Amino acid sequence: MKSFLFSCFSILLVISVNAQEPINTIENDSSKIILLQNVDVKATIKTPTQQLINFCKYNNIATVEEILARLPEVSMIHRGAYGIEPTIRYFNAGQINMQIDGMKIHGACTDKMDPATIYIEPINLENVQVQNANQGFLNGSSIGGTINMKLADANYLYNNKITGAINSGYQTSAKSFYESLRLNYALQNWAIAASGTYRKNHNYKSGSGKEVLFSQYEKTNFSITTSYKINQKSKIKLDILADDGWNIGYAALPMDVGKATAKIISLSLLSNNNLKRIYNWQAKIYTNKVIHFMDDTKRPNIPIHMDMPGVSKTSGIFIEGNGKINKKQKITFRVDAASTFLQASMTMYQTGQPPMYMLTWPDNKKNQIGASLSWALQVDSTLKVSIASRADFVKANLVTNDAKNHVSIFGDTTIQKDFLKNASVSISKKIFNKLQLNTALSYSERTPTATEMYGFYLFNASDGYDYIGKTNLLSEKSLQFDLSTLYKWKQNKIQINYYFSKVNNFIVGKINSLFSSMTIGANGVKNFSNISFAKIWGLEATSFVNLSPKFITVSTFRYTNAKDNNNMHLPFVSPLKNTTTLRYQPNHFFAQLETEIAASQNTISKNYGEDATASYFLLHSRIGYNTKLYKNNIELQAGVENIFNKNYHDHLDWGNIPRMGRNIYLQLKFYFNN
Amino acid sequence: MKKLIITLVLPIFLFALIITPSCKKNNGDEPIIVDDIDPTAGLTKQHEGYAIGAATKIAVYTKSATITTGYNKFYLSLTDSVTGKRVEDAHIMLMPMMDMGAMQHTSPTENPASEMAVNKLFPCAVVFMMPTSASGTWTVEYTVHNHVSNKEGKIKMLVNVIEPTISKQKMFTALHNGEKYLVSLIDPSTPKVGINDMEIAIFKRASMMSFPADSSLSVVLTPEMPSMGHGSPNNVNPAHVGKGHYKGKVNFTMTGMWKLNLDYKSGAAVADTTQFFDVQF
Repeated sequence: MKSFLFSCFSILLVISVNAQEPINTIENDSSKIILLQNVDVKATIKTPTQQLINFCKYNNIATVEEILARLPEVSMIHRGAYGIEPTIRYFNAGQINMQIDGMKIHGACTDKMDPATIYIEPINLENVQVQNANQGFLNGSSIGGTINMKLADANYLYNNKITGAINSGYQTSAKSFYESLRLNYALQNWAIAASGTYRKNHNYKSGSGKEVLFSQYEKTNFSITTSYKINQKSKIKLDILADDGWNIGYAALPMDVGKATAKIISLSLLSNNNLKRIYNWQAKIYTNKVIHFMDDTKRPNIPIHMDMPGVSKTSGIFIEGNGKINKKQKITFRVDAASTFLQASMTMYQTGQPPMYMLTWPDNKKNQIGASLSWALQVDSTLKVSIASRADFVKANLVTNDAKNHVSIFGDTTIQKDFLKNASVSISKKIFNKLQLNTALSYSERTPTATEMYGFYLFNASDGYDYIGKTNLLSEKSLQFDLSTLYKWKQNKIQINYYFSKVNNFIVGKINSLFSSMTIGANGVKNFSNISFAKIWGLEATSFVNLSPKFITVSTFRYTNAKDNNNMHLPFVSPLKNTTTLRYQPNHFFAQLETEIAASQNTISKNYGEDATASYFLLHSRIGYNTKLYKNNIELQAGVENIFNKNYHDHLDWGNIPRMGRNIYLQLKFYFNN
Repeated sequence: MKKLIITLVLPIFLFALIITPSCKKNNGDEPIIVDDIDPTAGLTKQHEGYAIGAATKIAVYTKSATITTGYNKFYLSLTDSVTGKRVEDAHIMLMPMMDMGAMQHTSPTENPASEMAVNKLFPCAVVFMMPTSASGTWTVEYTVHNHVSNKEGKIKMLVNVIEPTISKQKMFTALHNGEKYLVSLIDPSTPKVGINDMEIAIFKRASMMSFPADSSLSVVLTPEMPSMGHGSPNNVNPAHVGKGHYKGKVNFTMTGMWKLNLDYKSGAAVADTTQFFDVQF
């Protein structure tokens, strides 16, 4: 499933965030953008990788998660076929920012079944921006980085004409359908784009031929974006996005999701004027609401039936932009404030007794206000220095008496306040014309999450413990170092990254043998606690090699290690992995072979109930053909994933649920009036 | 441009001010003026009558609508039948009696602690060990010495005691001395998820006519949710605070049916390990 992606390798390119800016001649590797829409490519990318991107084809069947999974620094935690949680260089959940167009959004599930990525479809995305720890705090204090999904705008290319694309696909393993439609219409100063997506997946089959029960899902996604040009330089934009998922199986969890909905609304004011000192900026006000209902009614032999609804509401405002001080100095800035409300409860039913009700996320609110500033100096054509900083004031509190009564059992119910500081220094130096060194040193902080502070007997199906929050946990404080070398010749490029983070006050679950577990069959209770530190380090390598203008190979390696203060391994560390793509692309046609190799993972955390995971080797093949039909572009794509029908699971998969076996897919995309 | 930036940044701070709840004064701290308030407001009048000789009317109030088996707090309102004025200085004694025809017995009683009224009423308590039934009826005799008129008299009133759906009154025979002990659950009276006050009262049966308060036992509290098989953390064992009352804390992690297991010890000797109260909410 994860490998279900065509040309993402050509998308998966190390592009600088700043690459589009004329004053930047050195690539900054701390941020990557995965482009998902063709239209903006030519306008925004001016690096040697432009050629690769320009012929990139993207696969609209692929979910955002599948695209992210191809990045060497991103690993995905699977709890089922849906709701796959991204991690950046081991950091996850509260340690990273997950944003949609710069907006904060919080999942409404206490079990992290709904990371923000599920509420977005590639069809309404312009790009996905991944920043690691060194720059990732610019959008919000974080120690692990940022994943920002930028929504696609309506375009003004064809006045008074409806343009768009229809996309349809089928996959054999899960007998899944994918249908999407995007329409665009522009009239003078107005432009509107609407998109709709429908996905239906049945249970997929693993490599052993067995049906993996509770791996089905069904969803729709709608978005409308309307923009109005105030003048040539600025416009107002209204984005409305609604995502509804239902009957979503979570094979690795004791229950599924009956309904998961997200409503996201934002109003933005954008300005672009290259003549001004602040040459682009945007201001946005937004609100979003996520509702999540778990469902155990389809599970056999459940000891007790329960309802588990959750809700998250976030509102915020921000202004961000880029400015140039002179030809050599550039700044980016952001000021933002946001407020997030969370509540989740659980009601258990047993005949002849009153319902058993409890708040699993006692009603709580986190308010945040912060500002960031980064400054880049191009010293000469070979040296660039960047300094970035951010400060946040964060306040978290319980908002109802009922919530306070719950948490009072474990102690502190007072308001928690924290002032978070983040700063980084990056230096990029070209040593020869072909070799570039990048190094960065940064310090960042993050507050505990609502789960870590207020979690009330949250069952973790991975280690089998009930987790209880601690209100006065200390914020995690991380010091990180990053070193990368980039070697480029002709159209080819090899990049090797080394990173190291030491996280003080690292938050883990510690067994509390005095408490009895709430969940029937649980192993016990763990309290979220600070340990003195944890160390996380790893290596990543990416290469793009053109064997001929029509023959390209892309390869990535990743290796991560994470240990606690007692030198014990932390759980969910991805093993050494390599993915390699060989792609042949004459005109109008492409064919590619992909290999995916993961080493076995034996450095495991027994404290978290982990077991070792075997190595695996996967082979995928894909072909595609583009042509014109009545002057309209049409794309036909097909492929076979997991050709050898390998029965395997990844180390980061909960419950050792096997992944998809051999899967054949067919996809058709039809552009009209373009 | 600068002006534009300011006009855009300003709303962010304004927004932050809105989302940051201001330091509200807690209205609950304001003193309540009691003079004009009826002291019996919110209480239920169970019965009333005249204590012959004392020239005093007694009205008996309770917080609950009915009188049930277990610990019942009474609030006595006294009125001088000559002056019609409220009496706030009196000596009152209670004598409950179960009349079963062939035999009679009293039950644990807490007379008003002071001869001065508290908030114009005289709080006192009676533990009814069993409900009113065809085989026996409860009466409570009040002996009143009205200090205002310096007159003394008595009145006996019939009490209808109802057995609640979940019992709040238990009795056990101690293993270490063979004596009978009566235990009443007083709190939690309105249970909630969170920390709850826990209060029990223990009386020893010295004879059919004497039930003194007992302070000799130590109590271990273990809450349990039988249908789920789990307990709750950070409870505080009830400890003696005076007059046979033991106070502690009980924590409920969810609503539903809870069982409060109580083990009793006298020093190192085990008195009983079988007792429990059910709590449902």
